[in-house]
Amino acid sequence: MSLLPIQHRDALSKGMVLLFALPALLIPTTVLCYIFWQAMPVLSLSFVFGSADGIGFGVTEGVFPQLVGSLLLAVMACLIAIPFALATALYHRTYATPRQQRWLNTLFTMLQGIPPIVFGLCGLVVLVNLFAWGVSLLSGAVVLAVVVLPLLVLNTLATLERIPLAYSEAGSALGLGKGAIIWRLWLPRCWLQLLTGLLLAMARALSETAPLMFTATVFSGVVWPDSIFSPVTTLQTHIFYLAQEGNDPLVISIAWGSAAVLVLLVASFGLLARLLQKLGAH
Amino acid sequence: MMLRWWLSISTLLSSLTIVLVLGFLLQSSWPLIQQQGIAFIIGTEWYPFESLFGMLPALIGTIWAVALALLIALPCGVAAAILCAELLPKPLRGSVRFGMELMAGVPSVVYGLLGMWLLLPLLESQLNLLTGRTLLAAGLLLALMILPTIMVLSEDAIRAVQQSQREAAKNLGIGWDATLWRVLLPQAWPGIRVATLLATGRAMGETVAVMLVVGSIDRIPEPFYNFLQPAQTLTSRIGREMVEASVGSLHWAALLFCGLMLAVVAMGIALLSDRRRMVI
Repeated sequence: MSLLPIQHRDALSKGMVLLFALPALLIPTTVLCYIFWQAMPVLSLSFVFGSADGIGFGVTEGVFPQLVGSLLLAVMACLIAIPFALATALYHRTYATPRQQRWLNTLFTMLQGIPPIVFGLCGLVVLVNLFAWGVSLLSGAVVLAVVVLPLLVLNTLATLERIPLAYSEAGSALGLGKGAIIWRLWLPRCWLQLLTGLLLAMARALSETAPLMFTATVFSGVVWPDSIFSPVTTLQTHIFYLAQEGNDPLVISIAWGSAAVLVLLVASFGLLARLLQKLGAH
Repeated sequence: MMLRWWLSISTLLSSLTIVLVLGFLLQSSWPLIQQQGIAFIIGTEWYPFESLFGMLPALIGTIWAVALALLIALPCGVAAAILCAELLPKPLRGSVRFGMELMAGVPSVVYGLLGMWLLLPLLESQLNLLTGRTLLAAGLLLALMILPTIMVLSEDAIRAVQQSQREAAKNLGIGWDATLWRVLLPQAWPGIRVATLLATGRAMGETVAVMLVVGSIDRIPEPFYNFLQPAQTLTSRIGREMVEASVGSLHWAALLFCGLMLAVVAMGIALLSDRRRMVI
């Protein structure tokens, strides 16, 4: 190595970095393009907003029921998780002792590390069988809520931690109670960031498949859920089932189409979150 | 006062989820432990209908898949992070990072679809395999999935090294490669380690994509380093068999025990990454 002049050594290591980095940059791009290229033949407005009426076992045109099912589950999950996440983060910042704060941090970091399928298993044991909710919208939403809970808590905490201490101190000096500080000082200041965290949680909830397989979804037979105890179809599981029906090219192309719709949906939530983040930064 | 009660109770409830999850998993898998002890963890035979629940094949499959994924994704991801943080001009850097964040958001089932209908045929034709459903396929797919995590977090770590350090290195007249190996990477290492741990956790717990490509055959590869054979991971086993197992049976208990093992190991990894982050 040291025999080479320094310029050559630099060029060599830069070349090595480039060599290793290229697949990391090119392959994901290619893959993303490949999805949309494969989806091209079926993508259309009537594909996104059409419904198959449950006759063709979900393989005929139209993924609107699945789209609605995915969104419904994600929204319900977030609605269930928000009060708990917000309260936990607020407790952490207001009443918790340093020891409790450390415990909460550790607990939610661990919870975030647990694979979603484990929550799916628990949902199957507890919600579907023990509570006898069956494979239903409600079971799926509760399981998804647990999946996004640590994400929401940690994001909310990160947001609240960025509020300068002087703010809250000035508030207490003026005689405001904890409640007033939260409502009048913290929330007006950081609601945009909180919304960002919520959108990220939505994106996460929309992209989970494993926890829903046992708890919320069926392949066919349901177009629109008529109560919270009825099973649903979702885009994620729709893709999963179609991917395994290998004999018919049409089915696979519908799977690609659904995948493209799902990617766009998740990406739009991510983009919106990014936009809000930029807005909040100013 | 009302506020305090409301916050405390909600916090207690949400903290209890982790205890409840572990508790229910342990309680539901208890019948198996009661009947067969704990030795089935290192058993090599998994035949649910003969009450043989050896976990070793799936454990080895999981370790293999994760190790392959890390082996591929780590060098590429860190190299891309270096490229992005140090070499690319600013506008390009932003768009690369944006693309990576987009990729990080792609749902795992979409990767599964890609694996089945792009990766498997490719492997079959290129490597002349009977079936593309192998540990290699799972490893490659997982590598693609954890790449964005590794890259984005490593780039943050490299970018966080202070500019004055780079300038000092330049003033000392040491070249770019020495700066990289002696200054940037050592300082960014804690961040890269956290990225690796998080990626490991994610790869281990990934279900849908893996179960579509891994082949789901409960057998230890022959010989054990042969990653061109179909295998089984803990997650793919749960995903495949949970629907078939009848509620309350030993099979059901064994699958829940798989879930418990996943949860415990994942919690350990998460704890490790958290502890490291605090020390830094």
